[in-house]
Amino acid sequence: MISHRQGNAQRISALDERAEALHLKRDMGIADARAMHPSIDIVEADPEADRRLLEGLADWCDRYTPLVALDGIDGLFLDVTGCTHLFGGERAMLDEIQSRFFQQGFDVRAGLAATPGAAWAAARFCGDRIVGSGEEEALLATLPLAALRIAPETRASLESVGLRTAGAVMAAPRAPLARRFGATLLLRLDQALGRLDEAVSPRLPVAPLSVERHLAEPVTLTEEIERLVGMLATTLKTDLERRGEGARTLALLLFRVDGAVSRIALGTSRPMREPLLIRKLFHERLAALEQHIDAGYGFDLVRLSVLAVAAFDMQQADLTGEAADDGADIALFADRIRARLGEGAVLRPVPVESHLPERAVAIVPFTEAPRRTTPPRKPDRMQAPKTIFPPERPIRLFRAPEPIDVPATEMPEGPPLHFRWRRALYRVMRAEGPERIAAEWWRQAPGDPAASTRDYFRIEDADGRRYWLYRQGLYGGASQIPPRWFMHGVFA
Amino acid sequence: MAMTAVARETVFALRRQIAKIEGTLPERLQAPAGATLDAGAGTGRGSDLTIVRRGLAAALPDAFLPIGVERLDAALGGGLPKAALTEIHGLETRDAGAVAGFALSLVSLILNRARGLPILWIGTSEIFHEAGFPYARGLHAAFGIEPGQLLFSEAPRLVDALWVAEEAARMTALAAVILEIRGNPQRLDLTATRRLHARAQGAGRPVLLLRQAAGPEPTAAPVRLNVSSAPAVPRATVAGPLAGSIGHPAFTISIGKSRTAVPGQFTLEWNPDERRFDERRGGERNGGDRERAENPVAVVSLSRDRKDPAAAAGEILAFPAVASSAAISPAARDQPPPGQRAAHLGPRRAG
Repeated sequence: MISHRQGNAQRISALDERAEALHLKRDMGIADARAMHPSIDIVEADPEADRRLLEGLADWCDRYTPLVALDGIDGLFLDVTGCTHLFGGERAMLDEIQSRFFQQGFDVRAGLAATPGAAWAAARFCGDRIVGSGEEEALLATLPLAALRIAPETRASLESVGLRTAGAVMAAPRAPLARRFGATLLLRLDQALGRLDEAVSPRLPVAPLSVERHLAEPVTLTEEIERLVGMLATTLKTDLERRGEGARTLALLLFRVDGAVSRIALGTSRPMREPLLIRKLFHERLAALEQHIDAGYGFDLVRLSVLAVAAFDMQQADLTGEAADDGADIALFADRIRARLGEGAVLRPVPVESHLPERAVAIVPFTEAPRRTTPPRKPDRMQAPKTIFPPERPIRLFRAPEPIDVPATEMPEGPPLHFRWRRALYRVMRAEGPERIAAEWWRQAPGDPAASTRDYFRIEDADGRRYWLYRQGLYGGASQIPPRWFMHGVFA
Repeated sequence: MAMTAVARETVFALRRQIAKIEGTLPERLQAPAGATLDAGAGTGRGSDLTIVRRGLAAALPDAFLPIGVERLDAALGGGLPKAALTEIHGLETRDAGAVAGFALSLVSLILNRARGLPILWIGTSEIFHEAGFPYARGLHAAFGIEPGQLLFSEAPRLVDALWVAEEAARMTALAAVILEIRGNPQRLDLTATRRLHARAQGAGRPVLLLRQAAGPEPTAAPVRLNVSSAPAVPRATVAGPLAGSIGHPAFTISIGKSRTAVPGQFTLEWNPDERRFDERRGGERNGGDRERAENPVAVVSLSRDRKDPAAAAGEILAFPAVASSAAISPAARDQPPPGQRAAHLGPRRAG
């Protein structure tokens, strides 16, 4: 028996058959139940775990249809339009779903109807029933008001005026019902009867293309999964060719025999359709995830979906049969690295218009934009400096400027004589500067200490190492905060 | 019996392949001290170093990357091997700037030939945190490497960094691969470096292994260079060196290991404008004068974008020499006669 806190009291939220046999009911107080039967077992409800379990079941139901939606906290909607013939008809499909759930230890009630509302009512109040198109009215006529998916308050007020079944509501005139009980009641009724369309919004985005293979004998070995990926990708290739597209995001779904579903997704730098390359990428991904994927008793369904597509440019090879395209090699290389080590494993710098050194270069994950969709743009060249003496920039920059200890400077505004960095003392032999870089006032709040002006110095120490230091803040400024020194980069 | 051209070519190709498999491309030895130079084998440069090629003389002409400094190239036996793993060591982590700077100047030399190809810089998160992340603006200014040519790979663990490096080393679409490692990890042993070296040989691309704060270890790299920074010379200006300024980056290179086993220490200066190395000899501190002696060009630039540029000095076009006016001395020709002095040049009267 499971309890939950409602208002100020612990109440029964769910109970099993043996508890029902003891005449306990839902929403009964725990104190009352204990008084009746002191020996009952009570477990605190865990809605989070329930939700995770339901999502796991929804993932598993993906094998029947890609359109799976959660319904409240205890139900699933499966839009099986166009899927039933794959499982041998409606009855066979319903039986298979029920028997599979039963084997996994779940007690499910399923209903199948032409509208979500009718299916909901059939599942909850009839059980294991297939309602044909047009039979909704006959089904609902005998069912209680709860089958209409309406709020308990509305139900109570309907019952208070003597409308105790859905059939009675259907027989009543519509206008007074709408006026008295709101539009929701009629909306639910119309949806259940198929007069209004109701969309089931799927939990996961539906893949534009996916291929799958049901296996008579479950597979456990990674090599076999890879081979299956290659076979599925070969099937996928013809579809992609027909559409003139290549895959940008791919997902591999592995359905384990006992219901667990592993979802492995990866992205590609440029549209791809070659089965061998797809198999290579999944090889890296599977190698990286080896510890995280538990094959258990094996996977009995493997599905390869294309989640995102992009236009695929055909390229003509030259007469030697080799397309001289180094970019493709690099894109594939980057994809493989990213498949194994994650999105941020291959980075590239992008120049940004900014005076602040740390903002002047953005480091972004390597991706290659699809060629056809991007307008032609100027090459990514740095603009030639406009000044005669371009400001010197270090070759390495610390991600966070490191504070250094400066005991003395020759002049208040000048470079330091000594400084201490990472517990070592450095003597300044020569210095160039200052180069004053003001903060970007349009970005930072004026009170922010990072918004103060920096004076950069190029320093050479006694051993000939060259550093880039800066002093943050000014001496004798309006603020009384003394300036601080930072190490920001090193030169060659 | 004369061999046909095709057969000869096949033999050459096979020889080259054997040499590649055996890895005995450029074995060069220093002659014993006191050996006299053969008149027939004149090296032309008059150095006391004679170069003997051993093994299969099948080295490709472009197997080496000449650094551009004669002494260093001679000591390395022609330059840095192009298709090989090269170790560049720094004594301490704070030398990372010099080590990276030297490696990047080598990359810049490579890019002079393999234009447009990207380079990949692989490092562990640790080294990028300790020594700083490469800064594209500085790399562009100092080494002329475009940001579009740069790729970085940051791996959380050394194993991953090595894996990325091995994958990258076999790619011909990259101009060079830089792998940066800190310290002497157990994983980076003879086997790991041999794998890297073999892949670099196969692809024909250099792999530069930067090792910060590492001691020398037996590795498969044929060349190991120790790099530290050297004090830079002052900036050269028209009016001579600018006191107290910091000029072009300078490095002290010592050869830790090479095929020729010639020891040596060199102070090189990287010229970012011309993208080449200059060697600084002992005591020579004034870079500007030497540069001017090597590049005798006008201090003031010639005017451009004009239809009739100024003629070179020493040639008179407007007043060709006439034989009859030999009596007029050049000094007299410049001065107008006393009676023709301009009015405004006359002595002014007051009032």
